Order: sequence, then structure tokens, then C-alpha cells
Amino acid sequence: MSTYPTTVPPTRPELSSQGPKSRPARWIELATSPDHKVISLLLVSAAFGSIFLAALELLLTRAQLAIPENVFLNAVTFDRLLSVYGTTSIFLIALPLVLGLLYYVVPLQIGARGTALPRLGQIGLWLFIFGGFLLYGSFLFTPPEAGINPLPPFSELAFTPNNGVDVWIGATGLVTLGLLLVAIDLITTLHNLRAPGMAWRRAPFFAWAARIVTCLFVVVAPIFLAAITMLMLDRRYGGGFFAGSEGGSPILWQHFSNIFFTAVYMIVAVGFLAAIAEIVQTFTGREIQGRKTVIGSLVAIAVVGTLAWTQNMVTAPIPSGWKYYGMIMSIALIVPVGLIFYNLISTVAASDFHMRAPLRFALGALSLASLGLAVEVIHSTVAIGTQLSETYDAWAATHFALIGFVLFGGFAAISYWYPKMTGVQLNEDRSRISFQVMFLGAVVALLPLFAAGLEGQVTDAYRFYGDQGVDVWNLIASIGTLILFVGVVLAVGNLIKSREEEPAVTPDPWGGDSLEWLALSPPPAHNFDVLPDVRSTRPMRDIREAVRRRDSEATAASESQPVA
Amino acid sequence: MAPVLLPRSRKPVSLLTALAAALVGLAASATPAMALSLNPEAGSPGIEKVNTLHWILFVVLVIVVVAVNLAILRAARPRTRHHVRAEGKAPSQLKVGIGLGVVAVAIFVTATVFSDKSREVPASVQTVAGLDQGRPLPIRTTGQQWLWRFDYPNGAFSYRRLVVPTGVTVALGLRSIDVVHGWNVPSLTGKAQAVPGKTNTVYFRADEEGVHKGRSSVLNGQGYSTMQIEVDVVSPQEYESFIAQQKADIQDAQDTVEKEIASN
Repeated sequence: MSTYPTTVPPTRPELSSQGPKSRPARWIELATSPDHKVISLLLVSAAFGSIFLAALELLLTRAQLAIPENVFLNAVTFDRLLSVYGTTSIFLIALPLVLGLLYYVVPLQIGARGTALPRLGQIGLWLFIFGGFLLYGSFLFTPPEAGINPLPPFSELAFTPNNGVDVWIGATGLVTLGLLLVAIDLITTLHNLRAPGMAWRRAPFFAWAARIVTCLFVVVAPIFLAAITMLMLDRRYGGGFFAGSEGGSPILWQHFSNIFFTAVYMIVAVGFLAAIAEIVQTFTGREIQGRKTVIGSLVAIAVVGTLAWTQNMVTAPIPSGWKYYGMIMSIALIVPVGLIFYNLISTVAASDFHMRAPLRFALGALSLASLGLAVEVIHSTVAIGTQLSETYDAWAATHFALIGFVLFGGFAAISYWYPKMTGVQLNEDRSRISFQVMFLGAVVALLPLFAAGLEGQVTDAYRFYGDQGVDVWNLIASIGTLILFVGVVLAVGNLIKSREEEPAVTPDPWGGDSLEWLALSPPPAHNFDVLPDVRSTRPMRDIREAVRRRDSEATAASESQPVA
Repeated sequence: MAPVLLPRSRKPVSLLTALAAALVGLAASATPAMALSLNPEAGSPGIEKVNTLHWILFVVLVIVVVAVNLAILRAARPRTRHHVRAEGKAPSQLKVGIGLGVVAVAIFVTATVFSDKSREVPASVQTVAGLDQGRPLPIRTTGQQWLWRFDYPNGAFSYRRLVVPTGVTVALGLRSIDVVHGWNVPSLTGKAQAVPGKTNTVYFRADEEGVHKGRSSVLNGQGYSTMQIEVDVVSPQEYESFIAQQKADIQDAQDTVEKEIASN
């Protein structure tokens, strides 16, 4: 039982309908609901379920790499687990988690009573679900085995003559198409259904992130869909887009896929940096220092970061101008990323705050991502990129940044909005323990791999040899992955357990600034009974002040009345 | 109503502090270990430049990461409810942005200078038979699942093991007959992809005799982890005798096979 009181008396009965307690929805209602909250709850739940699966797959591959020349897994099984791990991390965790959270929270934040094109979101959810089932259903026959980014010609039919790559194309295509529809719905909502007075200059960080992320996704998702369609034509219908022997170019695929995967990286960074900004603003009780700079920096990260895709192709036979261009764009990211870190950390440093699960996870995310992003800058230089790309040094850098953003940022966001989504608080003690175990696990699992990568250990190989001098680093990393896995199990378990055990909370348990805290927890289907005029960047603070002023006036008026 | 007051957790941030301190401590203590393993021996002038650049950026990295994490630690430090920080005037966004921009430009200039130097084609300081004056020694390098084939200028070839002379600039013309392969000899050339239909040329000059090990670095199927590379750097005389011997052996084998075919 939590030691923290999680309820305060209801404060604004006139603003939200305190209707009768709703019964739990039947599965058919969940499956057919066009409500953005139901759709995104399913997306986010799928993402957290997939976090467990990805952690399990990572643990199995790390178990194989614990000792040199291990025979725990054979090459094919290892390649399959590796491919499914990478595909799960990007398509079933990172993207649905970002877009699901945005799709839940942002219509509430901008004061919309629903989304503009609800059926589009519903189709999107179902395409996503089919994609997920296709990927994991493939374990019944042939899972993908050509890696997270299956490079042609290796992924052509001649060299991978089983269904694995077809499954990969189908699953990633369905997921990308589904999330693209969700993004289109979100864009339309953002531009048409904002509450009176909710100008863009007053929109919260997360709403800005939704605008940036959805626009970026609408640009890059069709590129990826086109690329996998070409690959499908190559494999099954006699196309020659990527086959060098038939006049196609394998390099074309590398451009397409790297544009998409780099953009996904930026989508994740923008989405969770904005979520962290929201959390910092709420818990410190003061507006983020340099609000306009932070928003401008989020835009810059999305645009400049995506344009840096060629830094992932530094070993490919492309003109060196492309490589220097990628380096310029990557190094330019120092400015917006640095400004965001500076403003977020100074806001926390200058304030008095309550350290609760969301803020703890948010600071942990910044800590891990700072290391990952700094190493990424080093790797983006042409000389060091040719030396260290495709080693565990690069792998660990990417994982520090993405585990920081997706795992820690994801748990920061979910523990922040959990009371809004479920009506109960996340258990604070269990959150703290899971944070500590996950943080320890992430550091122990990833830091030694920098050393292994500098020794030259390449990624994706199912075994390594004793003469490489990387035995001890791999062993420590495998132990760390076990700790990380335990942490993930604790954290995901906490999400499930808290819903049954914890007491109900009021609509605004944190004293937040944006409009989602005006709605009931969980919000009714129509989100709001009454919408206020938005007059500042912090509408909920305005409402609290107005209510307080009115209450004190009412008290003063009743005191001035003579007692009859 | 004031923002809802929530009680602080029992030990508000002490464990976060401990963990972040552990991260900083691990980063600091891992630094010497990692520094020792930064490509200890550079076998060619190009890789020396890469290592120098890595050293510079590595020091910048450690300073930046330790500073950011200490700032996070300081910000997350437990403090009493009524303790409010004295608020100095924060530097303007523009100043911080310009500061970061200066850092970015400095890193960019350093990285460009060293990247250019590391990619320069070095001049040969020695010569071997069959080498055109002023031109690098061309060795056609072909990747296939799951080994490398090296074709020397005199018609000799070898698999898996490349033999090059010291002091002579070598041009490895990387190509592939099946899938994309990753050429990767960290101490001599760094990485380059061998892509079917294209030739990706890697130049290097090895100055000292010795053996350099490498491994393919692009996933290319079940034999990926066994696809290894060994580069033997030998004196020009030894190189000449090696390719002569190799050519003679190949000719012998060819003759034997032809004789057997003829006799059958």
C-alpha cells in the first residue's frame, strides 16, 4: 500500500460532469470505438507490452553474447531474434508510444471534444494491430532474419529465399500505414479543433511536439512505404529497383531507409523532450525558461536531424560531399539539443519541487540521453564514422539515447498521464524501485559496450572470439541486460497492478498547467462539459486562480451578511 | 486553490543521486580503460589522424557528459520546502545559443580538418615490381558470402589473407559479387562497403610490418561472424616473392587439374 495520500477533495464541480461511475468497457466497445482515448490507450498498451517482448529478445541475444564462441543460439535464431528485436523497438514501441501518447493527450490539451477524423484513427489502430500480429505470428513459420534494416541485395529473394523479409515488409508496412492515418487525424484535429483562444503561441509543448512529429511523419512515412513496396516488387514480382545486376541501385534503398529511421529517431527525441518539458513545468510549478527557444529547438531537431540521414551512410560508396553534408547537419544539432537541455535543467535547478515518479524518470532520461547524444556527435564526423560505425560503440550510443528517450521518457510520460488515463495514481514506491533497477541496468548493460566497440567488436554477429579482448565487457553487458529486464518487468507490472490497487484521484492530481487536467480522470467520451477561453500558456493555473478568487469573494460575501 | 501539495517521498532523491553519481563515476573510471583501447596501434597514417581526432573529441565528450550529469544531479538535489534558490539573472538564450554554436563550429572545423587528412591518399615511399610510378598498387578486392578474394596486379590471387608491402600506397578496389559486404580493418583502413555494381576504393599505406585483423561489418547471412580478414604487411621483397610464389602455385594447380581432365 502506498504511503502517499493520492486524493484531494474535488474543487471545481461546475467544470466537469461528475457523472455516475462508468462500468468497464466491453472488448467489442474497445475494438469498435472511434474515441481517440480508447484508440491511443490500446496503442500505448501495445507499446508497453512490446517493451517487455523487446527486453526479452534483447536478453536472449545478450545471453548468447555473454561468453565467447557461445553455442546457446545458432546463427539463424540469433539473426531472427535480433531482427525482431529491432523491428519491435522501432515499429511496435517507439512510434506507437509517441503517437499514442500524443493522440491521447493533445486533443485534451488543445481543448478538443474529440478528433476531426475519428474513423481514420480507428482504421490506423487496426492496421497497427494486424502489423504487430503479423510480426509475432511469423514465429509460427519464418520470422524476419535480415536485420532491422534489411539491405538489398541481401534482402532480395536470391539471398534470403524464405518468407522472413516478406513478413518484415508486411508488418512494418501495416504499422507505418496505420500510424500515418493516426498522424493525419492528429494534424487535422490540431488545425481545426483548438479551443477558443488556444493560439499556437499558447499551445503547450506536447501540442507543439504533436504538430512537429505528425508533419515529419507524414513526410517520411510515404518514403518508407514506397521503399518497402519497391523491395516487395523486387522480391516477388520481378522488379529491379535495388538489384545492381539489373540496373537498379542498392544505395537507393540505403538513402530511403536511412531517411526514415533517422526521422524516427528525431520523432522520438522531439516527442519525449516535449513530454519531459511538460513534466518539468508541472512539477517545478514554473514556466520552462526560454519557452520559445525550446519550441524552436524542437522544430530544428526535427528538420535538421532528419536532413542528417547521410551520416549513417558514411561507409557506403557515395560521393564524399554527401558524407560531409551529414556531418554538418549532425554537428549543427548541438545547438538546439544543447539549448533544450540547458533550459530544462536550469528550470529544475532554479525551483523547489516534489520528486515524484514522472520527474525522476524525466531526469533519468536526460541523464542517459546526454551521454548517448554526445557520443552520436563524435560518430557523425566522417573520420570516426568510418572507423566506429557498425561497432558496439555506435550501438551503445544509439541505445543510450533511445533507451533514455523511449524507455525512461516513456515511463516518465506514462506515470505523468497515468492518473488522467485510468483515474488512479501509479504506485509511487514501486515506480521508484523500478526506476532504480532500470537505470542501473541500462548503465551496466551499455557502458561496457563502448569499450567493446572501441576494440572493434561489430554488431549483429552471433558470436565473438576469445582473442578479441572483449570477453569481460560482454559479460558485464549481459549481466546489465538481465538487471534492465528485471527493471522493465517491475515497471510494466506496476502499470498493470496499480490500476487495481490504487485509490481514485481527482482530475488534477499534479496541479498541471494545461487543459487535459480540466477533464475528468478518465475523461468522458466528449472530453469536456465546459471549455474556458484560453488566455495564457497556462490555462489551468488561470482557472485555479479564478476559482480561488470567486471562492474567497463568496466567503467574504457570506461573512459580511448578518446572521439572521 | 494553490497547486495541490503532495508530500515528498521519504528519501526524495537520494537514490536518484546515488545512481546518477554511479553513472558519472562509471564514466569517469571507464575513461582510462576506454582510452587504453582506442585503437592502440595505428597501422597507417590515415588511422593515426582518426585516432588523434577521436582523442580530442573523446576529451570534449567526457567533459560535456560529466558537466551535464553533474548539473542534473545538482538540480535534483534534495532541498527543504522553504529553501528557495537565490535567483541570479540567467544568461540570455541568444548568448547560450551562440556559445553552443561556437562549440559546434569548433568541432566541425576540427573534424573536417582531420577527416580530410585521414582520407588523403598517401604517397608511396618504396616501390615494388609492377608498380606504375606515382600510382598506388591496385588490388581488386571482391567480397562474397562469406570470404574475401584479393586479385594482385600480376594475376595472382588469394582468399581471406591479404599481403601488402610496407611503404607502398595500396588502392583496394572493393566490389561484391552478391550482397553488400562491410570491409573493416580498424587499425589500417577503417570501414567501407563493398556494394555489387559499384567499386568503392580505399587507399592506405602501411608503414610497419605486422598482422592486422579485421571482420566484416555488414550483416550478410549465416556466415557473417566467420567472415574474417587478415592483412599481412611484409617487406617489398617478401611481397614480390609471395605473389610470385602464389602465381606459380595457382599455375601448378591449374596444370594439375587440366592434366587430370585431359587424362580422364
